[in-house]
Amino acid sequence: MAEKLVPVVCPWCSVGCRFYIVNVNGYPKKIEFDYEHDTRNHGKLCPKGVSSFQYLRHPDRLKKPLKRVGERGEGKFVEISWEEAIREIAQRLKEIKEKYGPEALAFLGSERCSIEENYVLQKLARALGTNNIEYVCRMCQSTAVAGKGMVLGHPGLTNPFEDILKAKVIVLWGYNPAATNPVFFGQYIEKAILDNGAKLIVIDPRKTKTAKYADMHLQPYPGTDLAIALAMLNVIITQELYDKDFVAERAEGFEELAKTVEKYTPEWAEKVSGVPAELIRKAAITFATAGTAALLTNEGVNQHANGTRTVMALTEMMVLCGYFGKEGVMSGAIPGAHNGMGAGLMGVEPESLPGKFPLHAEEHRRRIEEVWGFKIPEKPGITYVEMIDAILEGKLKALYVMGTNPAKALPNLKKVEEAFKNIEFLVVQDIFLSETAKYADIVLPAAAWFEKDGTAISFERRVQRSFKAADAPGEAKPDWEIIVMLAKELGLGEYFNYSDVDDILREINRTIPPLAGATPERLKKNLKGCMVPCPDENTEVPRLFVQGFLTPNGKAQLIPVEYKEPGEVPDEEYPFWLTNYRLVGHFHTGTMSHRSKSLSKRWPEEYIEINENDAKRLGIKDGDLVRVETRRTALVFKAKVTPHIREGVVAAPWHWDFNYLTTDVLDEYAKMPELKTAACRISKVEG
Amino acid sequence: MSKKIFIDFKRCIACKACEVACEMEHGEARIRVFEFPDLTSVAFNCRHCEKAPCMEVCPVNALSKDDDGAVVLDPLKCIGCLMCAVACPFGIPKIDEYNKIMDKCDLCAHRRAEGKLPACVSACPTEALKYGDINDVLWAREGKIVAELKDIGDRTNVLEAYLIR
Ligand code: SF4
Ligand code: SF4
Ligand code: SF4
Repeated sequence: MAEKLVPVVCPWCSVGCRFYIVNVNGYPKKIEFDYEHDTRNHGKLCPKGVSSFQYLRHPDRLKKPLKRVGERGEGKFVEISWEEAIREIAQRLKEIKEKYGPEALAFLGSERCSIEENYVLQKLARALGTNNIEYVCRMCQSTAVAGKGMVLGHPGLTNPFEDILKAKVIVLWGYNPAATNPVFFGQYIEKAILDNGAKLIVIDPRKTKTAKYADMHLQPYPGTDLAIALAMLNVIITQELYDKDFVAERAEGFEELAKTVEKYTPEWAEKVSGVPAELIRKAAITFATAGTAALLTNEGVNQHANGTRTVMALTEMMVLCGYFGKEGVMSGAIPGAHNGMGAGLMGVEPESLPGKFPLHAEEHRRRIEEVWGFKIPEKPGITYVEMIDAILEGKLKALYVMGTNPAKALPNLKKVEEAFKNIEFLVVQDIFLSETAKYADIVLPAAAWFEKDGTAISFERRVQRSFKAADAPGEAKPDWEIIVMLAKELGLGEYFNYSDVDDILREINRTIPPLAGATPERLKKNLKGCMVPCPDENTEVPRLFVQGFLTPNGKAQLIPVEYKEPGEVPDEEYPFWLTNYRLVGHFHTGTMSHRSKSLSKRWPEEYIEINENDAKRLGIKDGDLVRVETRRTALVFKAKVTPHIREGVVAAPWHWDFNYLTTDVLDEYAKMPELKTAACRISKVEG
Repeated sequence: MSKKIFIDFKRCIACKACEVACEMEHGEARIRVFEFPDLTSVAFNCRHCEKAPCMEVCPVNALSKDDDGAVVLDPLKCIGCLMCAVACPFGIPKIDEYNKIMDKCDLCAHRRAEGKLPACVSACPTEALKYGDINDVLWAREGKIVAELKDIGDRTNVLEAYLIR
């Protein structure tokens, strides 16, 4: 038995945990912990990491290309050869492009694929003449990217993980790391609290495993976080708790901001959010007077129609207190998947080029065109949710989906299904026959994360290489290989002349200056990787904003923010606030985790949390079936009666069918759909 | 010297990585995480008692202590009489329905033989599970308090600082 230990990066969340896959003759046998290396996880793993080889050999794995024979959505296919599949895709894409123009084509990249794969996919879209290229960041981080971008000029996590150990106060806002990033929580946050005495402030409508450690827990109605943020700004400014020197030196727009937040008192915020004014005041004072602070946000803040505004207000709080650029500080939003940040940096976005340079940045466009050898289309593409509308309007005819599952991840799923039933041509490249793949004309079998070499960027901005640790089943191939095959068939071979991932990474090094130093040689030699920006092989940047911000004049822009309600709020007809959350044992739409034996056994089904007083009023007992109805549709859940959610709010994990209930109202800046709240009514299912 | 897994329930976040890690090693999890309504949770496995009742009642001496002090089962001797299950105050030994013999935590004997930690301890992201000799574990805790006192002591009078706390 030839047993080999291959170092990999965890395929699930974005902490960037390292471990080994024990490979026996190409077969993944189990995982082994990494005790020796200086890894970010110190060898530790959460249940997803430990069991992450389980889904690899699941019998449902796609092993051959498939062509649809039944109705769309029915999931009936016949096996075809790779040659046939690639030929047909190329032909249909060409036809559609000729008939309707390149903007009738769109591509979806993936936070679950490597940076190399995302890079070649966006390059293919652009080579075909369209900027219609997107990935799920639109649905989890885009408001944070837009909000922090406007204030600071860069959206990344500001400091290395170690800095949180020195923070005096930690604010976790709409973020439950004990369930979503357990290793980051256990190795850094929990140590800061239990061992180093940091104070913890949690803002979340639910009392979570994270909130268990909180000194202060603010429980707002979902989507009213902005009211609390504005009131905290009000307290910090009116009580003069801000860092006057820092603001004078490194920020502009203070007067305007101060004037705007005058009316947003804690008493006002109490009426809007349901959080006692005194608690908001106390939180603001604790935060501002701590000396060092970490303020981490996630989807509880991001996924709202007022998400960008909330992120701006929170970032401004950090600026006012002068926390940026210091040790013992941390600010950022946490991508959901292991390469959430990497895909974005590769330019898998309708309005930005590789390196996140805006499409209209003449100088960068020219430079990249020179590397690529063809012209980049100038017209910005359309965003993820807008693609669905464009399909329904008949403007978008073909969609190419790589490793992502919009038919379960998007809000208002009935509408999405309608779109996928009516699209002219749909290709899905994935490891399982996902909900989306069931609508596809052609399905291509892809290699899973451990079955290929590739690079990912964790939420710490750390670039790490993962190595091939198992053979792909059947005829499944790495995503980059499939894209290159297709590009060649489309007659674009000269631009896609790669024989391995290292070739692609070397081109990335040339195309994206902040990644110039993340060479294949460096990443292979140094498993700990390096932190972006890494402009050359000896450099990396652990801490952002030490000198100035990345805005044009280097100063933080304190843009005043006004309050805006979430997209849908309860009324007489739909009196409850509905929200969702994640379970530690599942990942996104469950394509992989529902197929992992040890995970699905422990986290088998969805349920809805309802406050004990609400339950009593409605005659609902723990375990009863309840019908939850929004303006879109209704679902039935098992009730979990608990004191840990505030009255008037109900919440369910989103890994199952939750998105049939959600609305597709968009944030005005980032076009993020409001996935985190909706108005609903509930009733007990009798009988 | 006897080593054990110590459980610090203050740190447990009920993530069940320990259960899953154990399941990966043994096919079935021998450690269980219990959650309580107030959000506390405790991972619970064999205590490998100094005077282990399971060992004492076993009629065929299938249970014994190994060099590290772990109570381990010899599957070739076990007759599945369930005496150990009845005797164990923590309800740890379980019958393996397929083989009709007992199954229990052995502190991952095969991993220890390779110089590795028990799987559950390796995984636990919060270090709620610690493996070691009781004196070392206690010393690590006391050491921290002593270090803190020393730190304060450098600035004021140690005794005074201690009394203030
Ligand atoms: S914390 Fe995230 S990266 Fe680490 S093992 Fe768990 S899922 Fe993987
Ligand atoms: S020591 Fe090994 S057998 Fe015992 S509970 Fe932990 S993982 Fe399971
Ligand atoms: S792995 Fe650690 S934190 Fe997670 S449930 Fe087990 S003991 Fe608790």
